[in-house]
Amino acid sequence: MNDHAVANPLASSALVPPLTVAVFFVVAAVFASLLWGAGPIGPADALKALIGQGSEEARFVIMELRLPRTAIAVVTGLALAVAGALLQALTRNPLAEPGLLGVSGGSAFAVTLAVMLGASSATLTTVVAQVGALAGCSLVMLATRSRGLATDPVRLVLAGATVTGLLLSLTSVLMLADQRAADEIRFWITGSIAGTPFSHLKAVLPSLAVAGVLVVMVAAPLAAMSLGERAALGLGHKPGRIRLLVLVAVALLVGGATALAGPLVFAGLVVPFIARAIGGPDIRKTLWLCLPIGPTLLLVADTLARIIGAPAELPLGVITALLGAPVLLYIVRSGRMPTL
Amino acid sequence: MFQLVVRHRNLAAQLGLVVALTLAAVASLIFGTVAVPLDSLMDALAGQGNAIHRFVIHELRLPRVIAGALAGAAFALAGCLMQTVARNRLATPGIIGIDNAATAFAVASVVGTGISVAPPAMALLGAAVATALAFGLAGANGTRGYRFIIAGLGIGAIAGAITQVMLSRVAIDSANAAFPWTVGSLNARSTTAVITLAFGLVIGWVTALLLGRSLNTLQFSDPVAINLGTRLTRVRALSLACAVLLTGLAVAVAGPVGMVALLAPELARTLCRAGKVPLTASALAGAVFMVTADMAGRLVLAPLELPVGLITAIVGAPYLIWILVKPTSRSLT
Repeated sequence: MNDHAVANPLASSALVPPLTVAVFFVVAAVFASLLWGAGPIGPADALKALIGQGSEEARFVIMELRLPRTAIAVVTGLALAVAGALLQALTRNPLAEPGLLGVSGGSAFAVTLAVMLGASSATLTTVVAQVGALAGCSLVMLATRSRGLATDPVRLVLAGATVTGLLLSLTSVLMLADQRAADEIRFWITGSIAGTPFSHLKAVLPSLAVAGVLVVMVAAPLAAMSLGERAALGLGHKPGRIRLLVLVAVALLVGGATALAGPLVFAGLVVPFIARAIGGPDIRKTLWLCLPIGPTLLLVADTLARIIGAPAELPLGVITALLGAPVLLYIVRSGRMPTL
Repeated sequence: MFQLVVRHRNLAAQLGLVVALTLAAVASLIFGTVAVPLDSLMDALAGQGNAIHRFVIHELRLPRVIAGALAGAAFALAGCLMQTVARNRLATPGIIGIDNAATAFAVASVVGTGISVAPPAMALLGAAVATALAFGLAGANGTRGYRFIIAGLGIGAIAGAITQVMLSRVAIDSANAAFPWTVGSLNARSTTAVITLAFGLVIGWVTALLLGRSLNTLQFSDPVAINLGTRLTRVRALSLACAVLLTGLAVAVAGPVGMVALLAPELARTLCRAGKVPLTASALAGAVFMVTADMAGRLVLAPLELPVGLITAIVGAPYLIWILVKPTSRSLT
């Protein structure tokens, strides 16, 4: 598709070394997540359990608790990172992050409402979360249509932060009104993958696969759109349709991630930021690099959440906020704001 | 002639708000789980009549109404100052992280992390630290431009996370004691905090009025303001200090109540519409909003009581979304 106009980044081998390093980091993070935890099972026991030896208890903890949890962290990190990169490319705003802009908030609110009304199956929760995320996305897009917000990255973020705060307040009202629902989601709502059952992951995967196909479809047109809408039109792309596809992809990804891990702020900001720092502004390179970096970040954050306050757990959302806020400050301080 | 009309319009707006505040306060004293009829209310206020009514009014509702009115006025005045200084109507203390930081500091002293300073002082310290950090991180730009706001946003996020960490680490009853701090509620106000807030509000209000003329010139661009004789740095620093003082003390009373600082000045601007920064009108509007919202929180789902912060957030929603999607968004920028 018009490859002579917008060169394919993978044709050059410049991306291979950083990708190799990043994949190495993912593998390291997966092992870290499997080997360290809040419980008494140390790395040595965990290793034995992984190869099928060791005590019954250790095998149970590793295979039934840590392995699914690691898988969930990988998928969540992947989804949030890709969603963040897409949203940032679409709005041309390096601060556009699903968590900050209210997409995760919309998703969380929808799930809370559904749980309150009696929904319990993982499939239903996932769909509801994705519909909520779509509503959040649409609101963001509406906002970027308004004259003041389209051109000013910061006003968009401010508006998003306000909407997020609002949605979280509405969620708290629901939780206050219904004790049973509140108990069900209390930990999830702060952002955590501690209690997420493996069946949720299975329920989320099909929609994430659809999102993956969409991402492959829109990657090249999005790169063309970074040259401006006229240029994209000239290259034979249809900006309106691309925008719609990106929106649906972001909603599927963020909704899926929120169904798994609750509303996580900043994961979608930090990962694409690192990816762009390594690979430059091309969205296709960013997406490739997000694939290993996203899971790495979430795995590290989740492992930290388990071991910092052991034996109690910290919410994962707290760790991502603590990791992400400095990056936000750095982006703003570096003065590189309008570079997308 | 025009000058006269304008002056009268401002005065009328302020008088109207005073009347609204009185009505809201009276309604808030009358309605509740125990309804107190108007004549009994008068008796009770005078210290006579039914003992139950006296208790309900003097011990429960009156202090609550006073705390609400003071906190609302303080939030709104701080919001008005911030909006003017940053030239952005979204730049209220709640959005740029001052509320969150004040809360984090106050929670730190409530849950007993070994810090034995009183919560109001801690909240004030938190507000000051957050503003100073945001200011420092914003670099040469000061309060102008986006850096200050985004820096504040980041600091707010960190402060919120720290609050959550503290609440998840302590025993459940400490966490419950600190809960009102996290949502914004008039349930847990302490008398000392309210009295401190009253003094702070007077100081902040008088300072703001003294700065009034300079603040009016801040609505123009910097060169214009300088030519009109405004000492920009001093005015900005003083306004910011006032906003910090007011927000910190108000958080100490009511927790981080959102949206008052955004909506009340907006309402005041609509009512006054005179090219002036409506300081007093903002404070009055904030008080009305807060007292009404608290009453609504007590009545809507009675006997369940909704924290006032939730009510203000929900009321703020349609308005905020309207600002967002309105194609010709008028801004202070």
